[in-house]
Amino acid sequence: MFRKLLAILLVLMLTVPMALVSAESVSLRFIDVSPSPARQEYFEKTFAKFKEETGITVNYESVPWDDAANKLTVLGTSNQLPDVMTTWAGWLGQFTSAGWVRPLSPYTKGTEDQYADTVTKLVWKGENELYGDTYTVPDGMMVKGVFVRKDWAAEEGLDLDPHKGWTYAQYFDAVYKLTNKEKNGYGTSFRGARGAFDPLFVYLQSFTGGKAYADDGKALFNSPECVAAYKTWNDLYLNSAAPKDAINWGFIEMVDNFTGGLTGTLINDSEVAATCIANMKDDQWMVMPMPKSDVDGKIYNTVNSPYAYSISTHSKHPDEAWKLIEFLTRPDNNIEYCKLTGLIPIRKEVGDDPFYGPDGYYATFMQQINDPAMVVPCAFGPFSYTDMHQGMMHEEMQKYLLGRQDAETSLNNVAKELETRMIDYLAANPGSKVEQPKGLSD
Amino acid sequence: MDTTLLIFLLVVVVLFVIGFLLLRHYEKQNNNAARRLKLAAQPYAFIGPVLILLLLAFGWPLINSFIMAFQNYKLTAPNAIRFNGLDNFQKLFDDSDIWLIITNSFVYVIVSVLGQFLLGMILALALRRKFRGRGVYQALVFLPWAFSAFVIGLIFRWSFNGEYGVINDLLVKMGLITEKIAWLGTPGLSLLVVILAMIWMGVPFFAIMILAALQSIPADVYEAADMDGCGPIRRYFAITLPYIKPTIIMTLLLRTIWIFNSFDLIVVITGGGPANFSQTLPSYMYTKAFSSYDFGLAAALGVLLIVILGVYAVFFLRVTKYNKAGDF
Repeated sequence: MFRKLLAILLVLMLTVPMALVSAESVSLRFIDVSPSPARQEYFEKTFAKFKEETGITVNYESVPWDDAANKLTVLGTSNQLPDVMTTWAGWLGQFTSAGWVRPLSPYTKGTEDQYADTVTKLVWKGENELYGDTYTVPDGMMVKGVFVRKDWAAEEGLDLDPHKGWTYAQYFDAVYKLTNKEKNGYGTSFRGARGAFDPLFVYLQSFTGGKAYADDGKALFNSPECVAAYKTWNDLYLNSAAPKDAINWGFIEMVDNFTGGLTGTLINDSEVAATCIANMKDDQWMVMPMPKSDVDGKIYNTVNSPYAYSISTHSKHPDEAWKLIEFLTRPDNNIEYCKLTGLIPIRKEVGDDPFYGPDGYYATFMQQINDPAMVVPCAFGPFSYTDMHQGMMHEEMQKYLLGRQDAETSLNNVAKELETRMIDYLAANPGSKVEQPKGLSD
Repeated sequence: MDTTLLIFLLVVVVLFVIGFLLLRHYEKQNNNAARRLKLAAQPYAFIGPVLILLLLAFGWPLINSFIMAFQNYKLTAPNAIRFNGLDNFQKLFDDSDIWLIITNSFVYVIVSVLGQFLLGMILALALRRKFRGRGVYQALVFLPWAFSAFVIGLIFRWSFNGEYGVINDLLVKMGLITEKIAWLGTPGLSLLVVILAMIWMGVPFFAIMILAALQSIPADVYEAADMDGCGPIRRYFAITLPYIKPTIIMTLLLRTIWIFNSFDLIVVITGGGPANFSQTLPSYMYTKAFSSYDFGLAAALGVLLIVILGVYAVFFLRVTKYNKAGDF
C-alpha cells in the first residue's frame, strides 16, 4: 500500500509541475543595450501593462552600452540571443550576414502609412537596399544638430538663428570665436576617440554630394577636396579649439564637457537634448541645425534611430515578439518613451505633440527633418565594419593629430580599407548596388 | 558541443580507462608486482581529478587558442571560420603599429618591475625594524595591493585628467607648469601614467615578500658579522641579499610574467591610446578579440606572448642560477 502511494505521489510530483508549465503563458526575453534606471523603470512598467493586455510575460535583461556589442556577439555565436533586442544600426551588417535577426516584412507590410516618413523613406528603405528586407523597428528617431552655448555666443556677439541656419565656414568661425582659453573655455567638444570618424565622414560627404562610393565601389571621400576638408576639420584640435585631452574623447566625454561648461559647441544627436534639459538652464544652450554644405548648400545629416527593436532568429515565439514590438511602438507608449530618451516619435499620430512643436526643445531637429534641403548621406557600407569603427578609423585620425603621419595618408588608409570591403561586397553579392544618398522628398 | 572538445575529453577518459585496465591486468598476473604498481600509482590517482580539471580549465583553452591562431576566426563572420595557415601571423607582423606595441610592452614591463622592486625593497628594509605605529603604517602602505585594478585605473584616469585632474592642479599651484598637460592624450606620457599606476599597485607585493624573507634571516649571522667588523653595506651585500635571493628571483619572475600579461590598467586608464601609444601586446590582444572580434588574430598574439614569456622564464632562471640560490 505504502509503495503504491509513493508511486502515485512520485507520478504526481513529476506530472503536475509539467502540466502547470505547459499551461503557463509565453515568456519572452528582452535585452536593452543602453540601460539606465529611467529606461529600466519605463520598460518594466510597460512590460507589466503588456502582460495585463496579452498575458505574455517579458523578462527584462540589460547590458551596458560599452559591452553591448561584445555581449550580443557572444550570445549570437552561441545561439542564445533573446527574443527581442534593442540593436544599433551599425551592427545590422554583421547581424544580417550572421543570420541572427529575423526579417520583419511579413509583419510590417501594409502598415507603412502609420509610420513617419523618416522610418519608411529612410530607415526601412535603407535596410531593404542594403540587406534585402526590413529588420528593425526604430525605438524613436534622432537627427544630428549643433548644440551651442547660447550665453557664450551672446557674449561673443554671434548671431545664431536656427531658422537661417549656417554653413560649415560659419560653424568653424563660431567655434574659434567661442574658444577662450583664459576662461578655460574651448570652442568644441572634439571627438578624437571611438566614433571620431562619424561626424567627420558626414562633413566629407558634403563635398561628394552625400555619396561614399562610386558605382564600381571606389571611395569618393578621399579626393583632394576631401583631404583639404579633413585638414580643416582636424585643425579645430590642432589649433587648440578643443582641449588636448579631446584626442581620447568619446560620446560621454563630449557630452559631459559640453554640459559641464568646458566646451561651447557639440555636434551630436537629438538624444543629447534630454541631458541638456536635465543639466543646463534654458538660457545656457540652444540647438543650431547641422551646417549647410559649402559646395551645394544642402544639409547633409544622418537620420537614424539610436536603437531599434529586432527579433532574433533564435526566438521560439516570433509572433509574440512582434506583438511586443507593436506594443512598445504604439503611439501612447512610443511618445512616453521618446520624451524620456530625447527622441522623435516614429508614428505619424504623435507628430503634433507640443513637446515637438515650434516652441519645444526639439524644434530645430523637427525643422531639419522637414527641410527639403536635407539629405541623408550614405553609410560606411553594407558590410561589417565594426572592427574599423572600434579601432582603425579613429586611430588613423589620431596619428594625424599627433603628427605621426600626414592627412593624405591618414584619410587614404581608411578609404582604402573601406573601398576594398565595398568592392569585395559587390563582387560577393551580384546584383547589389552602391547605396545612394536619400532625401525625404525622394 | 564542439567536436574537438569532445575528442579531447574522450582521449582523457580513454587514457584513464587504459591505465585502470593495465593496473587490473598486472594485479591479476603478479600480486607482489601489482602491490608495488598500486603503490606507485597512488599519487597519480590522487592528483588525477585535479589534473583533469586543470586539463579542462587550462589545457583545453590553450590548445584551442593555438588552433584559433591558424584560423580565420572572426565573430563578425561566424559562418566563415576556416583554417588560414600563417595569415594571422603575417597580418600581425604587417601591422604598422606592432613594433611600437612590442616596444611599449618591454618598456612597460621593465620600468614597472624595476620600480616596484626598488621601492618594495626600500619599503621592506624600512619596515624591518620595529618602530611606533609600524602596524598602522604597514597596513596603509600595503593597501594598494588590496584594491582592484579597475578602481586603481579609475583613480589614475581621473587624477591625470588634463582638464580636471588633481595632478595638473597641484603642478600648476606649485608653479611647476603653466599650461595643463594632456597626460592621457600625449604619446609617452599616457604610457607613463599606466606605469606609475602599475608601480603604485605592485610595490606592496614586493615589500610583503621581501619583508617575510628578511625576517627569516637568523639574527646570529648579523651578530657574527658585527663582531667581524662588517659595515652596513657589506652586511647587506654579503648577508641580506644572498639570503633573500631565492625570494627576489621568484618574485621578479612572477611579477614580470604578471605585468607582461596584465592589460586591465591600460584598458581602464588609456584604452591603449592615443593611437596605440600606450598599447601593449596583451591589451592589443584584448582589443583585437573584444573590439574587432578577430579571435584568430588575438590568438596569434597570444601565441606570440606565450613564446616571449616562455623564453624569458627559461633564460631568467638560467641566468639567475635559481637552483643554486640560497646555498651557503
